[in-house]
Amino acid sequence: MMKSIGTDAEPLEVLLVEDSPGDVRLTQEAFKDAKVHINLHVASDGIEAMAFLKREGGQANAPRPDLILLDLNLPRKDGREVLQEIKENPALTSIPVVVLTTSASEEDILRSYRLHANCYITKPVGLDGFLKVVNSIDNFWLSVVKLPHETRL
Amino acid sequence: MLLVVGAVSYRGIVVSSESDRWVGHNHKVLENLRDVLSVVETIESSGRGFVFTGRESYLASYRGAILSAERDERSLRDLTVDNPEQQRQILVLEGLTAQKIQLGDMVIRLRRTQSLEAAADAVANGPGQQVMDEFREVVGKMQDEELRLLALRDAEAKRRLSQTKTVLIFGTVLGLLIAAAAGWSVQRGRGLADEALRESEERYRLLLDGVQNYAIFMMDPRGQILSWNAGAERIKGYTADQIIGHNFSRFFPPEDIKRGRPEEVLRLTAASGRHEEQGMRVRKDGSRFLASLAFTALRDQAGNLRGFSEFSHDLSESKESGAKYRGLLEAAPDAMVVVNQGGEIVLLNVQAEKQFGYRRDELVGQKVTNIIPEGFAERLIADGTRTAAEALAQQIGTGIELVGRRKDGSEFPIEIMLSPLESSEGILVTAAIRDISVRKNAEKHLAQMEGRYRGLLEAAPDAMVVVNQGGEIVLLNVQAEKQFGYRRDELVGQKVTNIIPEGFAERLIADGTRTAAEALAQQIGTGIELVGRRKDGSEFPIEIMLSPLESSEGILVTAAVRDISVRKKSEEHLVKTVEELKRSNDELQQFAYVSSHDLQEPLRMVASYTQLLAKRYQGRLDADADEFIAFAVDGCNRMQGLIQDLLAYSRAGANGKVLREISGEDALQEALTNLRATISESGAVVTHDSLPAIKTDDTQLAQVFQNLVGNAIKYRSAEIPHVHVSAAKNGGSEWIFSVRDNGLGIDPQYFERIFILFQRLHGRDEFKGTGIGLAICKKIVERLGGRIWLESQPGKGSTFHFALPERDEKRDEK
Repeated sequence: MMKSIGTDAEPLEVLLVEDSPGDVRLTQEAFKDAKVHINLHVASDGIEAMAFLKREGGQANAPRPDLILLDLNLPRKDGREVLQEIKENPALTSIPVVVLTTSASEEDILRSYRLHANCYITKPVGLDGFLKVVNSIDNFWLSVVKLPHETRL
Repeated sequence: MLLVVGAVSYRGIVVSSESDRWVGHNHKVLENLRDVLSVVETIESSGRGFVFTGRESYLASYRGAILSAERDERSLRDLTVDNPEQQRQILVLEGLTAQKIQLGDMVIRLRRTQSLEAAADAVANGPGQQVMDEFREVVGKMQDEELRLLALRDAEAKRRLSQTKTVLIFGTVLGLLIAAAAGWSVQRGRGLADEALRESEERYRLLLDGVQNYAIFMMDPRGQILSWNAGAERIKGYTADQIIGHNFSRFFPPEDIKRGRPEEVLRLTAASGRHEEQGMRVRKDGSRFLASLAFTALRDQAGNLRGFSEFSHDLSESKESGAKYRGLLEAAPDAMVVVNQGGEIVLLNVQAEKQFGYRRDELVGQKVTNIIPEGFAERLIADGTRTAAEALAQQIGTGIELVGRRKDGSEFPIEIMLSPLESSEGILVTAAIRDISVRKNAEKHLAQMEGRYRGLLEAAPDAMVVVNQGGEIVLLNVQAEKQFGYRRDELVGQKVTNIIPEGFAERLIADGTRTAAEALAQQIGTGIELVGRRKDGSEFPIEIMLSPLESSEGILVTAAVRDISVRKKSEEHLVKTVEELKRSNDELQQFAYVSSHDLQEPLRMVASYTQLLAKRYQGRLDADADEFIAFAVDGCNRMQGLIQDLLAYSRAGANGKVLREISGEDALQEALTNLRATISESGAVVTHDSLPAIKTDDTQLAQVFQNLVGNAIKYRSAEIPHVHVSAAKNGGSEWIFSVRDNGLGIDPQYFERIFILFQRLHGRDEFKGTGIGLAICKKIVERLGGRIWLESQPGKGSTFHFALPERDEKRDEK
């Protein structure tokens, strides 16, 4: 298994935008078994996520994430808006965004892809399913895929 | 000569000056009364005119009439200063006039400050009409009083002057005045007969001046004619030029001349100073007539005979005193016929000749029934209970409508007014006869039209209103009265905008681009929804249908007006109910979706963490803990199943997708593909006949097949499951699909229950499932307008049928 970007010395930065602490914890638990070293950053709403990405509001030292896991239904600023802002922002648009949400609605799926989400995953109901999904993300996005390595501007 | 004229005139003057003064006075009062009534009526009508039109010109005449009323009432008071009864009545009149003005001012103010409706309402409901009626009554009383006085004075005058023939003139005058006044009192307010009165007054003067009806001339002592008046010319047939200088003997019949009668007359007159006789005379044309003659010897102061005067009239003009009426009768605008108690015509005027088509001599002496076959003669005759005078008195002053018959036999409607005339023959009756054909025709036309449409109108279930091009209501039916809350007489003649304020009148009116007929034509046969207004001001929705009605007044419009309150209300109710239903349905759908979706979130947490517990700590706690965790995990799993099914159920039929033709075979294949694992695992055999195409939305038919075939396999018996799907058209226009299996079968007592959400017949340990599959099938089938049912017996397999309406006839099962 090739490690494209992440090395033991250089961990991958993942931003999880998720308001449910349960899901955050589950994700953290799932990533524990990850093949690569991952720094999981958590933003609990859209405003926080954008602040992190733009290094505003005391987050000047925030790293540029290699991957964003984005829930759609968020307080304050909706995930759909966050997605749109990321994809309209030249500095951020190259960051892959994985929409990870409970919504299975056709409308959300279509809309997310139209906003250039990189993939759309419905949170599985069972633990096994969830672990499998996170595992897949780890496998695919963080191991298989070549991610852009943009220098921080 | 002058003396003779003077003497004759003198008698006239003496007589006239006394009676004339009184008659003139009475007449003046009567005239004044008429004026007062007329101006008060003007106050009323001009006030009303302003209310209904808003034109200032009505106010000018309103104010003018008020001034006139004050002036006329003042002069009336002056005129009747000698009569306390009349003075008292004048006070009443003045009070009523003041009330009338007050009411008028009020409605004018209402019209200005509020609305036409408010003012019209005040006019219609105020005491105005009552005041007017009282006013008329008082005027009527005062007139009666004056007429009574007039009659008294007439009788008095007659009595005192009966000695002389000349008095007849005045009797006539008075008689005619009475007749005219009586006629007028009937017509008071109509202002027609007073025209006749005025004319008769004129005639009266002419009569006194010219003495048309008497031949008056002078002769010298030998009988040579010296002067000639108009009456003489008319009666004897000679003009002054033809006769002056000739001897008066030529008026006598030849046989009288032969025996020296002319000379004898002169001799007798000279001897006694005065000679009267009745005798036959001859006109210029040789015709004879019976004359009444008075000769007077004219002497100078010395007593010398200077000549003679003859004062004569033609008795044949009426058998006795008729001639005295002639001039006056001729002056009347109406046909006048004087009839005696025997019902014989004594006298008539030119108008009567014209009206009935007879020459005078054809009627005089004939029964009046020749020209008025019924209703007139009867009125003149005494019977057991009343005298002739009483019989007549009952008729005086009343316009009686009868039928006149012309010489050619044709008949025509007449109105007659009777007045009595005392004469030496007894009471004569003067009848003023008016041809009312025109009025009758108009009335008849109206009545005909009314009659024709009235029945139709009244029979109509709707309110019907007939309106003219002026937007005025011409006719309406009982339903219209009820619907709008007005009495008929309150609406006829009023603007239709009173009851349909907007949208109706406008539709009748021509504008630059179209005629009234065209404007109307555009509306015919169209139901127009407007608003009606009741008398109490409340409004209600109406629908009107217009149809044109040609009439002599132009095109009238019949409007059928339907109160659509109930319909409107039920329409609104229906719309509201449907909306409400849709909303509650949507809400329910939304609720089911949202709740199942939102429930899923916390459940996912519970499930995930109990599973995490199970995963991490299985075998690390004690056996109880493992069992408890297992129950928790199982409960979560089942709940997740339920919630997912609930979501599926709420989605079934939720999104109203467009229906399109779906091949039954394709749908079944889709279902079988989804069931691939189940089928291969169970070794089931699924067969099918050819299936028709059905209009449905995309996935629903497949869903039904999937659930039914899935159930057939799931609830299998010990045998290899065999499922057969078929379709048949039933007699009507339905396709019936059937899914037959060889499974467990179902007890008929559960046939209904199995279609109910979450109802299951088996324990969870026997068969998995939430009990939603058939509920979803039922929902889908019913949404497509079909139904679902089954045939089954335990141990003998089940056949589920569902019928769907065929929507495309061209397709069939091949």
